[in-house]
Amino acid sequence: MSEELKGLIVNTKCECGHQNPVGTVLCEACGKPLADEAASQDILEMRYDGVARRSQKENPGVIDLVWNFFSSVKVAIYLIIMTTIGSMLGSIYPQESTFLNIDPSVYYKEEYGQLGHIYYLLGLSHTYTSWWFVLLLVMIGASLVICSLDRVLPLYKALSRQRVPKHMSFLTRQRVTLQTDVNNEGTAWVDRITPLIRKKGYRVRTDGGTLLAEKQRFSRWGPYVLHIGLIVFLLAVLARGLPGLHMDTHMGFQEGEPKQIPDTSYYLENDGFTVQFYSEEDLPDEFKGKGKVLPEKFETQAILYECEANCDLGQEPELKEVMRHQIEVNHPLNYNGLKAYQFDYDLTPTIISVSPTLVHADSGEEFGQFTLNIRNPERTYEVGPYTMTLKEKYSDFGLNAEGKPSNMSSSQNAPAFLFLIQGPDLPEDGVQYFYFPKQIDKERFQQDALNKQLGGGELRFNLEVGSMEDVELSQSTTYLNIRIDKAMPFVWVGAGIGMLGLVLGFYFQHRRIWLRVDDGKLTLGAHTNKNWFGLRKEISSILKQMDLEVDEKSLVNNGGSQE
Amino acid sequence: MSLIDFSSDAFIVAFFLYCLAFTFYGVAVMGRRFRKREPEAHTAKWGKIAFYTAVIGLIAQLTYFVTRWIWSGHVPVSNMYEFMTFLSMAIMIAFIVLYILYRKSLLGLFALPLAILIMAYAAVFPQEVQPLIPSLKSYWLGIHVTMAALGDAFFAVGFVAGLMHLLRTVNFGSSDKSSRREQRWLEFCMFMIVVLIGFIVSVYSFRAGGYHAEFSQMKWNEETQQEQVVTVDYDMPPIVAPYDSQAISVQSFIGMQDSFFEAPSWMHGINAARKLNTVLWSVFSGLILYGLLRAIIRRPLAKMIQPALGRMDPDDLDEISYRAIAIGFPIFTLGGLIFAMIWAEVAWGRFWGWDPKEIWALITWLFYSVYLHLRLSRGWQGKHSSWLTVIGFIVVMFTLVGVNLIIAGLHSYAGTD
Repeated sequence: MSEELKGLIVNTKCECGHQNPVGTVLCEACGKPLADEAASQDILEMRYDGVARRSQKENPGVIDLVWNFFSSVKVAIYLIIMTTIGSMLGSIYPQESTFLNIDPSVYYKEEYGQLGHIYYLLGLSHTYTSWWFVLLLVMIGASLVICSLDRVLPLYKALSRQRVPKHMSFLTRQRVTLQTDVNNEGTAWVDRITPLIRKKGYRVRTDGGTLLAEKQRFSRWGPYVLHIGLIVFLLAVLARGLPGLHMDTHMGFQEGEPKQIPDTSYYLENDGFTVQFYSEEDLPDEFKGKGKVLPEKFETQAILYECEANCDLGQEPELKEVMRHQIEVNHPLNYNGLKAYQFDYDLTPTIISVSPTLVHADSGEEFGQFTLNIRNPERTYEVGPYTMTLKEKYSDFGLNAEGKPSNMSSSQNAPAFLFLIQGPDLPEDGVQYFYFPKQIDKERFQQDALNKQLGGGELRFNLEVGSMEDVELSQSTTYLNIRIDKAMPFVWVGAGIGMLGLVLGFYFQHRRIWLRVDDGKLTLGAHTNKNWFGLRKEISSILKQMDLEVDEKSLVNNGGSQE
Repeated sequence: MSLIDFSSDAFIVAFFLYCLAFTFYGVAVMGRRFRKREPEAHTAKWGKIAFYTAVIGLIAQLTYFVTRWIWSGHVPVSNMYEFMTFLSMAIMIAFIVLYILYRKSLLGLFALPLAILIMAYAAVFPQEVQPLIPSLKSYWLGIHVTMAALGDAFFAVGFVAGLMHLLRTVNFGSSDKSSRREQRWLEFCMFMIVVLIGFIVSVYSFRAGGYHAEFSQMKWNEETQQEQVVTVDYDMPPIVAPYDSQAISVQSFIGMQDSFFEAPSWMHGINAARKLNTVLWSVFSGLILYGLLRAIIRRPLAKMIQPALGRMDPDDLDEISYRAIAIGFPIFTLGGLIFAMIWAEVAWGRFWGWDPKEIWALITWLFYSVYLHLRLSRGWQGKHSSWLTVIGFIVVMFTLVGVNLIIAGLHSYAGTD
């Protein structure tokens, strides 16, 4: 053991006989300043009542070192500052998550130039999901837990074991202090002032000519309650990253077609979408005459089904209606934690199904009609004497760089179907036939010419749609944001606990007044964690009732140099 | 007279009452030296008169708020004009709360001009009642915005007291390095306030003169996937024109016929160049105004103000500043974060979406939590923490105004722009 360490240990024993742990600033029993604090003449450091924190240990091990690191308020402050700066960086350009369909490796360059590209390369386009940001949050969490534990337990012990008589220098070195003559016997004077202090809401304990008055001690737990709230909140937020607890997708729903919500047994149907726009006269002047349309209200009539049987892929599911709801912007559908929010809409009509008739290209002879569902077509169709087998399906038909037919995207921009027709008077392998349900695509991709080529120079068939009755249209598509968030209740509980802690800590103040009368001389010291002004006012008004006129300002301790 | 006209009148009455109250505070401080009567009694009397004038002003502003609410059917905090007006009202409320706690009426000498400036700034924006876009239609909007603004208002009063503490304690007699640095930064704060006044003066001057200029600019329209000609309107003479633009009409202003230069290409927001132009004019008129003031008083502004605060105890100011922030912090947490999360959850189904406004509300909160933790440490009371309140106020104002002007997000209120 080094000499220095020996010295430290010897010094921790106070003159009142109490053995204090290493790191104690003020004697746990009488409050006498110890070690460095004793040498100084400044106002006492009253943090945590001068007790030794858990982290102030001799011979720290590895765990102790980690503990000590996170128990430091300084480290906590640096962590918060780094998180603040990180957050600022992330707000420079919109985050990737703001967009639904972009390729960030090109988007940032195109939209924001070279700086934008650097922003993307640095990973700042997804700041808040990047490892370092999450790590900072986790470290803040660790700091919250350890900082709190390190202080709250010793502080609790210190506050619940307070002794009434205090060392003289403990009183005279408080921020609020007073020494004056009362020319009175100690016990009698203390007995007289006790009811006056009680009247102000203090709990008072006396010991001969000494007194301790205290109120609203619970305010001291405010910060720790806040920290517990924040920990619950952070844990809830981090838990959302676990599978099954959280889902957040955007889905488009055409009218009149139940669609499965992925990874659930729920199906949602858009039973009609309506949108109302502000009329020209309701528009504010700055928007008038600019041809801008401002939606006033848009809503989706939604029906939610639950699958009861045959839920596996490829089977016809049996659906049971469980809920109907009008989804509006502030009024989502909410069923057992599954929520559907109105997100966007598209008023372009889309085809749900067509019922074309297979006719002979030259004679116009009709062979038969069938119904083709655009999204979920069947494998084969029996049309009169012919069998039509679906070979390829495209949702957004186009020609790729090699000039081959391919799917350009997953949206239903240009649906196309490649059939193999087999039947009488046809070659044994059948003939291939391309079908574009949309008239515009038919012309754009020259359906007839394409089929003539496939038929070896001869166009045998046509698929004709007689009237609009043969086309089932969806007038609009509504885009809903589907969310499942099972950690949400914990987010709110955490926020609630935190708020409670803030109110305890900031709107109440822990006030203590110590006093002792020695040989007709009063020495008073007082401490609060906030609002010194109020404390001084209170003391001055109590003393006034004891016929002691004391100016509030004169209670201020000017750096220990008492007059 | 319709209710909405009455409401606007109440706003104007409030504005003039605040100006009057500010003048009375001036009398309270300045008059001390000119008259022969007891200086303390004089200050107390005029301080009281000024305070009650301010209270009547606040009542007028509350009248504006309530009548506008009744007329429009929603809490009037849904656009920049309404929000800034509410903020000035909240600052008055916060000031009155701290007055009740500390009875330091001189706080009004600095709180009032701040409220007046913010009110004048509010009036720069279009004042008509605007219909709400669907996502804003929720009573959570009113609760969230008003609570957040009230929290910010307490931070603002914390800044006011912090600035007063600095004005009171910065040593103008000393010329050592750290004092000089403090003097410079404090004077820079004064200058920035003058620039804000310069901004308001230039907006209103050019508006009164009916100034107008127009530019046409080629823009890529995302929806139609086409190049489109857009016109950019200027209400101030163009020092800087939009990038790659043609002047359609530029009114002449003291011989200024055309812009001096074009905005750089990366400023491609439709109004970016106009905003830059406004900033340039603000700095320009701020410089002139500041120059004039310096020429008249022949001293740094901060040095001139210092004697007015001679009677105030620096420790009291420090405590008022800390207390204002301690009162505001829980209110801000509740209004600016928790209620905001509830509203976001109700409206968009996510309690947090890293929208710029959300991020900056979080930054504000983190900043003040650093402040509160630092106050626990020795050496961070007094001047250091006063400087932090100044920085904090800049963060608050950036969150409220800067984010809307520079980084738009979901909160760019009016919806289609």
